[in-house]
Amino acid sequence: MPEGVASEKKGFFNRIEALFPFDWDLLRHAGAEPVPYHLKKWWFCLGGTPMYLFVVQVITGIALTFYYVPSPAEAYHSVFVITHDIRFGWFLRSIHKWSANLMIISVFLHLLRVYFTGAYRHPRELNWVFGFALLGATLAFGFTGYSLVYEQLSFWGATVATNLADAVPFVGSYISYFMRGGPEVGEQTLTRFFIFHIGVLPTLVFFLLALHIVLVRLHGVTELHFEGEVVEKEHRFFRFWPEHATTEILIGVLLMYLLTILSLIWPAQLGAPANPNVTPEHIKPEWYFYFSFRLLKLTSLKVSVVLTGAIMGIAMFWPFIESWLKRKFGMSERLSIFIGIFAFLGFLVLTVWESFAH
Amino acid sequence: MSLTTKRIIVASLSFFFLAALLVVAFQESKRLRVEEREEPVITAANRGCVECHSKDSPALVMEWERSGHAQYGVGCVDCHAAESTDPDAWQHEGVWVSPLVTPKDCAQCHAREYEEFSKSHHAKAGQILASLDNVLAEKVAGMPGNNADAVNGCWQCHGTIVKFMRDKDGNILKTGKENKPVIDPTTWPNSGMGRMNPDGSQGSCHACHSRHAFEAKLSRSPENCGKCHMGPDHPQIEIYNESKHGIAFYANRDIMALDKQGEWVLGRDYSAAPTCATCHISSYMTPQGATVENSHDVGERISWTLRPAISTKLNLVIYEDGYKEDYPDTRAAPKVGEEIERTEKVVENETLVSKKVKGKVAEVITWEERRKKMKGACLNCHNDTYVDNFYKQFDDLVTLYNEKFAKPSTKMINDLIADGVLSKNAPFEHPVQWTYWELWHHEGRRARHGASMMGPDYTHWHGMYEVSKHYYMKFLPEVVEAAATKGIAMKQKYERIVGQLLAQDEHIWMKGLSAKEAEELRKMYQSRYNQ
Repeated sequence: MPEGVASEKKGFFNRIEALFPFDWDLLRHAGAEPVPYHLKKWWFCLGGTPMYLFVVQVITGIALTFYYVPSPAEAYHSVFVITHDIRFGWFLRSIHKWSANLMIISVFLHLLRVYFTGAYRHPRELNWVFGFALLGATLAFGFTGYSLVYEQLSFWGATVATNLADAVPFVGSYISYFMRGGPEVGEQTLTRFFIFHIGVLPTLVFFLLALHIVLVRLHGVTELHFEGEVVEKEHRFFRFWPEHATTEILIGVLLMYLLTILSLIWPAQLGAPANPNVTPEHIKPEWYFYFSFRLLKLTSLKVSVVLTGAIMGIAMFWPFIESWLKRKFGMSERLSIFIGIFAFLGFLVLTVWESFAH
Repeated sequence: MSLTTKRIIVASLSFFFLAALLVVAFQESKRLRVEEREEPVITAANRGCVECHSKDSPALVMEWERSGHAQYGVGCVDCHAAESTDPDAWQHEGVWVSPLVTPKDCAQCHAREYEEFSKSHHAKAGQILASLDNVLAEKVAGMPGNNADAVNGCWQCHGTIVKFMRDKDGNILKTGKENKPVIDPTTWPNSGMGRMNPDGSQGSCHACHSRHAFEAKLSRSPENCGKCHMGPDHPQIEIYNESKHGIAFYANRDIMALDKQGEWVLGRDYSAAPTCATCHISSYMTPQGATVENSHDVGERISWTLRPAISTKLNLVIYEDGYKEDYPDTRAAPKVGEEIERTEKVVENETLVSKKVKGKVAEVITWEERRKKMKGACLNCHNDTYVDNFYKQFDDLVTLYNEKFAKPSTKMINDLIADGVLSKNAPFEHPVQWTYWELWHHEGRRARHGASMMGPDYTHWHGMYEVSKHYYMKFLPEVVEAAATKGIAMKQKYERIVGQLLAQDEHIWMKGLSAKEAEELRKMYQSRYNQ
């Protein structure tokens, strides 16, 4: 490159930077995160996947919002129009749906990796909590989004879920009333779910993600070492930009391929329109709530709600609980791993079990 | 624990996760398929039929496949199988079958519905075959050797006697390699409500439950009834469409739960509007919260008969053998336990004959009780006062029609017959007979049906207006004209009768309005139309 061009470019960026009186070196420093060697293995890069999918969701979600009408009389019809009439509407809707599912899957996978490699331990406890809150927000996204379709199953799914909320001890009736905007699922409910789905949750996730990433940057990524693997000192870390960033971009491209393939082969379907007068024979939530639904069938409404809440609470604050157990009872790392295996397998068993039930 | 072990754990759990997701996805897609379209259950007995007919009549098989029957493995032979001794049976591909599926066939599974239906007015719809309607179609509109008007018209709603082509010895003609009996083509195909079948049963379930998909939404839709309940003589569907009920239905069809499997209860499964089925046969919630069972006896909730020249309230006599007979309130109802003789119409040798049957009365249901059943449906949306006042308005209209027009005109026709002016054997000889016929059979019914189902325009302009106009301007002059054919003395007698009638209070308007009334009328037009 001729020297003149390079300096002109530099000059241009300098002028842009001058427009914003901000410590740009700080940003450069933040971007120059030293990335541990093990992240050269792609399966350690899944933490970025949910974020990438979140961006996909925001873009496709905005496009869908152009056409979606959040009123009980119009909602189903507008989804029908998106699916059948709007050019590429079906594709956007399918990408949005698959991306949502992949986002939930990748959050779970990321959580597995972090848990079993012990990356949540001191001093990164708080980031686990933020991560878990992001999982909760992702599930809330899935639930509210599915309800917006306003087909029979999604309508009745919402009805069941708000009934579940009703069973929360002490404050349940307030929560369910707040969710529904009244004593029953109705006109207000759809509007509320819509506001949550496109306003409250995206904002929440944006800030949680920012906190999550800032904490990762501040603490640095946990360094992991495979036994017998010799890494020379100067190779222990590599640069975020451009080395790691290109890996992430590559993963992004592959994800886009995957989303496109899934959307083409299994495009998002549309069931019968919601009918508050007719209860379908089989009511089911989305798959990620199967475990809770199975618990409900195995126990009672109250017990299952309290149990799910307790499990979620323990999981969310596990880093603190674990260290307390370690201090108090000398709990070994091995036991933590077994608890993790047991809990996750339990989740899988309940999920599969529910899928077989009518 | 080494990082490699941890990696194996994460990899294994991820693998299990993926496997679990695939299982869930597989179950989910199976469930979706079930919801979209249940797979038909093709039993061994039906496999052969389905294989051939999928090629010969594919749409018919597709219709069956999407039916509830197909989901339960109820297939072709379950309904079409016949005994080798049945007159309409033949051996088709080794199985004795009949094209005719009768209520008795349906009763194999739907016994309660069969019991209710077979005692109802619907099942007896074919007994109109010996009525004036039929004279009009077969004689007036027909010609010797061609009764196509009756075949294509009357019988397609009322049903016919299904007959066979026979040789001179009376044996049923057979055709083809399989010796298929030849059905008289004027009597089949026929899906009339009161079809009289070779197995002795009366009626056709298919009339409402169209084959081969047998959709609930079809039977529950008003259009289904409108195939027959329409036109100048009984425009129920037009009246319904005009009424508030009909308007609400068409605006809210999508929330009527018409497709619901099983019970379809007003006040529980839907609320937007009543259909014909809702008020006449379907289940509804009572104020106490209990559900009233639906009934395939369509006349159960009817308290007036609006069909004859003069309307009467109807009590219902039920015999111990289940036979039901309407008793007009003008006829003393028998006591429970009393043994009485009744007339039943049955088919013998492919002809409809009357038979005297003795039976013990098991129950007498009064017209008030029948009306209470109907009101139960109304009360799902309206209060007592509203419903009672509606019935007051309706009753008054029927009484008005009865007293002012139906009774005097019927008396005059009967007098003309008694005086030998008209002949009972020539019901459509004189213009006055046609006018009288339309007065009650067309216009009078329109007025009464209009009031019964809240159709204002049918009550007045298509109903009472026509009744009045034709009564004064056609019927009464034609009475005198008919009498004149028997000489001047007869003419003068009927001029006197008509004159006396018109002198009565309700007819005095013909002589003109009072000066005050005429002035009010003039002022009204002036202010309304600036004329």
